[in-house]
Amino acid sequence: MNRIRIVIIFVVLMFLVLFLGLINLTVISGGKYKELSNKNCIRLLPQPGARGKILDRAGCVMVDNKLSYEVLILTRNNAAVLKVLGDVARVLEVNPDELTKVFDKSYLNSSVPTVIARNIDLKQAIALEELKSEIPGIMIHPNPVRRYPYGNLACHVLGYLNEIDRWRLTNLENYGYKTKDIVGFGGVEEKYDYYLRQEEGGLSVEVDHRGRFTRVLGFRPPYNGRDIQLTLNLKIQKIVETSLAGRKGCVVIMDPFTGEVISMASFPNFSPSVFIERPAGVINRLFSDSEGPLINRAVASVYPAGSIFKPIVAAAGLETGKINSHTVFVCTGATMVGGRDFKCWNVHGQQDLTLALADSCDTYFYHTGLLLGAQNMYEYALKFGLSRSTGFELPNESAGLIPNPMWKKIRRFKGWYDGDTANLSIGQGDVLVSPLQMVRMISVFANNGTLVTPYIVKSVDGKDLSVYWARQATKVAIKDTTMDSVREGMRQVVVCPTGTASVLATLSVPVVGKTGTAQAPPGLSHGWFVGYFPYKSPRYAICVLLEHGGSGYAATVVTKQIIEEMVKEGLI
Amino acid sequence: MRKSQLTILLIAIAIAVCGVLSIYSSTCQKEGQLWQSIYQRQIIWIVLGVLLYIVISNLNYRRLWDWTYVIYTLTLIFLLLVFILGAVRLGAQRWIRFSWFNFQPSEFAKLILVIFLARYFSKKSVDDTSLPSRRFGIMKGIILPFIYVAIPMVLIIEQPDLGSGLMILFLFIAVLYITGVRLRYIFTFLLVMFLPAPFLWNFLRDYQKDRLLVFLNPNIDPLGAGYTVIQSKIAIGSSGFFGKGWLAGTQSQLYFLPESHTDFIFATFTEEWGLAGSVLLLLLYFLLIRQGFSIASRTRDSFGKLLAYGISLMLAIQIFTNVAMNMGIAPVVGLPLPLMSYGGSSVIVTFISLAILANVDRTRAVF
Repeated sequence: MNRIRIVIIFVVLMFLVLFLGLINLTVISGGKYKELSNKNCIRLLPQPGARGKILDRAGCVMVDNKLSYEVLILTRNNAAVLKVLGDVARVLEVNPDELTKVFDKSYLNSSVPTVIARNIDLKQAIALEELKSEIPGIMIHPNPVRRYPYGNLACHVLGYLNEIDRWRLTNLENYGYKTKDIVGFGGVEEKYDYYLRQEEGGLSVEVDHRGRFTRVLGFRPPYNGRDIQLTLNLKIQKIVETSLAGRKGCVVIMDPFTGEVISMASFPNFSPSVFIERPAGVINRLFSDSEGPLINRAVASVYPAGSIFKPIVAAAGLETGKINSHTVFVCTGATMVGGRDFKCWNVHGQQDLTLALADSCDTYFYHTGLLLGAQNMYEYALKFGLSRSTGFELPNESAGLIPNPMWKKIRRFKGWYDGDTANLSIGQGDVLVSPLQMVRMISVFANNGTLVTPYIVKSVDGKDLSVYWARQATKVAIKDTTMDSVREGMRQVVVCPTGTASVLATLSVPVVGKTGTAQAPPGLSHGWFVGYFPYKSPRYAICVLLEHGGSGYAATVVTKQIIEEMVKEGLI
Repeated sequence: MRKSQLTILLIAIAIAVCGVLSIYSSTCQKEGQLWQSIYQRQIIWIVLGVLLYIVISNLNYRRLWDWTYVIYTLTLIFLLLVFILGAVRLGAQRWIRFSWFNFQPSEFAKLILVIFLARYFSKKSVDDTSLPSRRFGIMKGIILPFIYVAIPMVLIIEQPDLGSGLMILFLFIAVLYITGVRLRYIFTFLLVMFLPAPFLWNFLRDYQKDRLLVFLNPNIDPLGAGYTVIQSKIAIGSSGFFGKGWLAGTQSQLYFLPESHTDFIFATFTEEWGLAGSVLLLLLYFLLIRQGFSIASRTRDSFGKLLAYGISLMLAIQIFTNVAMNMGIAPVVGLPLPLMSYGGSSVIVTFISLAILANVDRTRAVF
């Protein structure tokens, strides 16, 4: 019976196979299956907290949250998903393919619910809630989303919210940021994201094979983000944005003594709410727009300074003793420098410092600049905070550039000529400054010699930050007489009938300032106005820039509108 | 009662109790009167099975010799009836409705064919212990018995119940081998049977193709055809050494594991009782089959001997296939785990088979 023995061996082998199979499953790969088993029946239901609000200096809400309803789906079965998506699409009256696309994009794994539709309105949410028993595995989730009660107002200061990108994720991973987190981009939302951020809580529940709830395993409460109060004045911000009226450019208004930014507007702008509603194509258009609507021109863009650089040259000349307040140069409409004619924009005749500032006479400053030399002007420009970042909080600040002989040697491999000095002395050539730098520069004259650090966040969660920022201010060593002379010159810009900003003379508030028309070929010139008001007891320093706005006159007109409105509102 | 008769009964009851515990565990969470009473029904079937065991194990098995062709014909009639009156459940037509239970003729067919083959390859004379099949030609040794086997087999495969059909085929080959049909013939037969297998692929139903493909790689369709295997492997793999405890298995309690009280009861049992419990269970099955083999080797008359081997092999093949498919090392076919899985026909047939086995040992001693 040899065959019997073989059969018996065969049967024994069968049992051995079963035994080894058991060992393999339970002992060797037991850990893996244990995990899979938990994944099967444990679900995490996130419970979002609300992101912190952003308030203006008076406590008015600039950004807060509203409840939006999300549809989530929790199911394991592929065929069932398609059916559910079809049902939901019918209620929401959209194409099922669209929902499928959203589902595929946001699917993480089977233990976390997948979002299939965002921002559905209350009516649809209720309709779906009623159908919940018929459509298995769907959840309607109230989800706080950003609300912008003033639309585009101060959008560059506020920033917008979007899904975290790869670069930010790698940098912020250690601070508890995860993929698909919604984080701030640009402005306060980005800079103070860590404080504004809500902490997500959640339930971990046990479910059966159809995703039906069986019991709660654990709970962590959500925490709301911290509120942030800005130094912005909502009323002034509104005035500024209406006065700018969609012209390309920007306005910064700052408290010259503290550095509090009272208003900051930049055009073209964008609506932060498109990042929540996400209408098709709009976001892509924002990013690809050559006008750069997402750029905060007041901080991130730099422009040739033009004549608004002259107060620095004047101060440098007086400080170094190269000129005094009675020095006179004669303007014949042009000056020969290095064998080339350097033109003035007009023929001014005899000019002393006060008149030269009022008329913005280029010839006077060519002479002063040549007396000073490039290095001196460069050093004074640095004293006024140019060519380096102001230390402002908002992201993407540009430092700008003040050229000097060393820089030209290193970066351009060229020597420095007197023509370069002449160009520098009227703020042309390679000079690049940001509007924020200019408002800070003019504040030095307003507050009699302090270089403040501009800031925009007054307090975080009730904790006042002004003391910190006050400590950042530095003294600029400039004599009082110098200050007085330059101030008088800039007052004459407005008061003198030939002054370039004489349109401001009619205002009830005495304004001090300087216009600038910076050549920017091939386009029109940039129009600048920097100044402060009221003259004797300054409260606001202002900088208006119109990108390719034609001339400083246009910027002055915008300034006039702003100040008129502020007076009307009783803000001065 | 003889010693083997009692041993077999005790082992069978022990296994059946494990089965009832697992059936209770996997159905107690489900709503509805029907689900709640399922374990009670199983207990009734087991009690009935035990009574049948006691009765049949005292009836002389040699009477089966005379009745073989009658019960064979009866089986064919029932299998045909399935097509006419059969209840369609889970996409297959395998059951005939009686007043309060469903009768599954294919379960009985397995046992009947074992009896038939034992009779076909043996002699009536109790004294002549030689097996005639050694001298059989290819006609008498293979083709003729295969025709007898093929008729019910095809009927079962058409139900469709590929698992039971294939099991009968394997059983047939195993019996051929044991009775001593020439190896040449057996190999020829195997060649003829399995060479056209690739062409038979087209005759398989879609779900059968899916199952076979899924067996090769369960991850091709984790939420469809591969779902059961994956869930079953998770249930077994996550159990640990002592299991999650009775009524605490998440896979079966929360319904992740389909068919957790019938074909996949082994996974349900293992999840809750762990490696220790399932090794013990396999040991019980092994002891049962060892009993069968030792009875067969003790038996002298060829009919009894073949009967004992056939029944032991029938059980062994079913147990192996079922447990292997629970662990994902065999394709999913609808074979119950004898004595464990819920189902009256299976329980009754298994007890009857064991009773015949016990009786072979008991009657042997008479001569």
